[in-house]
Amino acid sequence: MKTVTVRLRALAFVWASLLVLPPPTVWSQQPASPMERYRKLEFPPTEENFDKGWQDRVTLEYEIINFADLASLRIALKDENAFVRSMAARALGIRADKDSADALAELVQADPEYMVRIRAVEALGYLKMKPEAIELAKKDRQLGVQWAAKIVAGLLTSDIDYAAEVRQAFASGIKREVMGAAKVGERAPDFTVQTLEGKSFKLSEVLGKQPIAIYFAVFDG
Amino acid sequence: MHQQAQLRLKKDEVEKLGAAAYVVLAMDRYRAKVFKEENLLLSRGEGPFSKEKSLVFATALSDPAGHASALYGVSRRCVRWGSWVENHPTWFVIDRRGILSYAAQPTFATPTSYVDDIDRVLDELKKAAR
Repeated sequence: MKTVTVRLRALAFVWASLLVLPPPTVWSQQPASPMERYRKLEFPPTEENFDKGWQDRVTLEYEIINFADLASLRIALKDENAFVRSMAARALGIRADKDSADALAELVQADPEYMVRIRAVEALGYLKMKPEAIELAKKDRQLGVQWAAKIVAGLLTSDIDYAAEVRQAFASGIKREVMGAAKVGERAPDFTVQTLEGKSFKLSEVLGKQPIAIYFAVFDG
Repeated sequence: MHQQAQLRLKKDEVEKLGAAAYVVLAMDRYRAKVFKEENLLLSRGEGPFSKEKSLVFATALSDPAGHASALYGVSRRCVRWGSWVENHPTWFVIDRRGILSYAAQPTFATPTSYVDDIDRVLDELKKAAR
C-alpha cells in the first residue's frame, strides 16, 4: 500500500511538473548573445544601410561593450563576417582584454579587411601593447590603417587610461527612445560629454545664453 | 576637418555674433585632442592649410560612447574607412532661447562645398542671435 502511495505521489509530481514547465521548444530558446544578435542585424553597417537600423547598431554596440563575455568576443575575432570581427576587436580593446593582444596583432597584420585592421590597431592602442604591430600598421597598404596607427601610437606612451574612460561612458547606457530626439523647432536636447581636459561639459549649462553652432564631426570631415 | 578649417577662417564673424562653436567627436578624448591640436589631414600636400598647426577653433568635445551623437540622430550612420563607428557629419544651430533652429548635413559634393556650408551656418547663427 505504501509503495502504491509513493508511486502515485511520484506520478502526480511528474504530471504537475509537466503542467508548470514550459514546453521543450522553449527550453532550447536561450537568449542570443549580443555578438550573435550583431551578426544577425537586419541592417548591418554597410553603405546601403546608411539611414536604416542605426538605432539597432547603437543599442547592440552598447550591449556588446558593456555585457558581452570575453570568451565570445575572442571567438568573434575569427568570425567570417568582417563587421563582427571588427566589433569584437573594438570591444576587446575597450574592455582592456590583454589576453587578446596576440590575436589582435595577428589581425592587424593579416586580416584581409582594412576596417578590421583599423579596429585591431586601435584596440592595441587601448591595451598599450604590441608596439611592433602598430609600427607595421603605419606602413599598411591602406591609408586608413596607416592613419589609425599613426594616431594610436601616442596612446602607447600616455599615462592616461583612455580605454577606462570609454568604458565609463558606455557604462552609463543609452535608452532607445532618446535616440534621434533632436528636432528643429524644439528645445535642444541636453547632453553631457567631456572636454579635452577631461572635465564634464553639459550643454544645458551654456544653452539659452548665446547662439550656438555644434558640428558632429568625423575625423576627416 | 575641412568644415572646421573653413569655420576657423570665419572665427571673427562667429565671435562678433557672440556665438559659441563646438565640435563633438564620437571618439575617445585622446583622438579628439589629436583632431583639435594636430593638422594631420590638411598638412599633406600643398593646400592652403598645409602649413597650419591646428585648424580647429571650435571647442572640441569627446563623446566616446556616441551618446550625444545618438541623441542628435547622427550616430553610427557613416561608413568611414570601411567602418561604421563615426558620426554622420551634421551641423546644428541653437538660438538664444535654446531652440534648435537649423540642422544640415554637409554633402562634401565638391572640393569647395564646405565654403557654402559654413556661409549657411553663419547665416543661421545671425538669425539665431536675434
